[in-house]
Amino acid sequence: MDRNQQRPRSSILDSLGEELIGILTPVSICMFTVVLLVCLLNSDPSSSSSFSSIATAAYSETDSDSPWDKLLGAFLNSLVFVAAITVATFLLVLLFYLRCVTFLKLYMGFSALVVLANLGGEISILLIDRFRFPIDSLTFSILLFNFSVVGVFAVFMSRFSILITQGYLVVIGVLVAYFFTMLPEWTTWVLLVALALYDLAAVLLPVGPLRLLVEMAISRDEDIPALVYEARPVIRDDSRLVQRRVWREQRSNVNDDDVENNVVRAEEEEEQRSEEISVPLIDSSSSSSSRPETFLEGIGLGASGAIKLGLGDFIFYSVLVGRAAMYDLMTVYACYLAIIAGLGVTLMLLSVYQKALPALPVSIMLGVVFYFLARLFLEVFVVQCSSNLVMF
Amino acid sequence: MISSGQVWPTIDGPLGLTEEASVDYARRFYKFGFALLPWLWAVNCFYFWPVLRHSRAFPQIRNYVVRSAIGFSVFTALLSAWALTFSIGGEELFGPVWDKLVMYNVADRLGLAGLA
Repeated sequence: MDRNQQRPRSSILDSLGEELIGILTPVSICMFTVVLLVCLLNSDPSSSSSFSSIATAAYSETDSDSPWDKLLGAFLNSLVFVAAITVATFLLVLLFYLRCVTFLKLYMGFSALVVLANLGGEISILLIDRFRFPIDSLTFSILLFNFSVVGVFAVFMSRFSILITQGYLVVIGVLVAYFFTMLPEWTTWVLLVALALYDLAAVLLPVGPLRLLVEMAISRDEDIPALVYEARPVIRDDSRLVQRRVWREQRSNVNDDDVENNVVRAEEEEEQRSEEISVPLIDSSSSSSSRPETFLEGIGLGASGAIKLGLGDFIFYSVLVGRAAMYDLMTVYACYLAIIAGLGVTLMLLSVYQKALPALPVSIMLGVVFYFLARLFLEVFVVQCSSNLVMF
Repeated sequence: MISSGQVWPTIDGPLGLTEEASVDYARRFYKFGFALLPWLWAVNCFYFWPVLRHSRAFPQIRNYVVRSAIGFSVFTALLSAWALTFSIGGEELFGPVWDKLVMYNVADRLGLAGLA
């Protein structure tokens, strides 16, 4: 194919815009839905004191404590949570090393079922309660049953409608993120920062569990059985498919505390396969019977081409924005822009470094900084201007 | 007949399933849908939408998909008839049973409305 050789080697930037949109859209939808849920269902903030999970195991915040006590308690909580996540991730690495892939897939399906049925049901009941929607229990249980079972199919089966799988992953992210916004305030912020640091360590250090996991998966050329959002692969019109394997790995450990860690890895492999791949797109009758199968395997989900973002990224971005929504919508706008900017920076770094990268740190750090800046400085400014009818 | 423009049976086009695998999937979705899962039938129809559009292309898949569509419509009609009667009829139609069946009361009774 002379045309392919005469064409200069296109850079990643050619298709990066479309791929960026493919990742930014679901992240934005997830954040928007969580903010919506928080605004609709939010009662007084003091009601969150009755919430208990592993993230409040060491210390549960009450309103009467001094700030120093709250800070200390939040540190203890985060320590416990990060320790739990580390143990769980090492367990995952061990299981993956021993090739217990079926068990991991079953566990993934089971956790999806629990999240969709349990959390989904509870949040729907909260919504029905809030709006006094006259639905009866039979219809509700049938709808919930349908929704959860099809969700498990979508997560469990490797070949399913891309749109529906993506939709269900976003829904799972929204449900878990809403659940996490019920944590006490100080704990939430310290936990987010702690998780960002943990992510940085787990992915970049040579002994980090996520790095081990990704390296094992790459060396065996398998997919990690975990809840990972995968954007639709971009097929450009010059019919050269840029094969890029980008990893963001996430793992979910359930029992009311989902635990996710994130890794991004990029590996670009090109042209040897592009010709094989472009031909079946035009005409598959000339290829042998085994060719279409391998062709579909080649650009199928999980093997190539698409940016993958772990579900934990979705969840913790949305937790940050949801917690910002509990204060005011102004902080929501600030944090949203910060997170999107952070995500863009991470994707750019990904295309430069071409190796495993954690997705949480940049966005979370920017988000936290912007939240406190907006709350401390921007609000005063805006309120003064508005009350004096100067701007806004 | 399938000409040089390949028609893919799934809505994902070249990223989706081949024809042989699709028959298997369509059949399995159709059979599982009988376990009170009309949403699965709807997903079946959505996923194999090109099969419904090109009515001559894939006879085996089309069989299952059309049956799924019919099953979904029937089930939805029945369920929405019941749900609408319930919500619109309200207390006047059902009497005190309405309060026992409506979801927010059931949730209060069973203590489901609080998280954690």
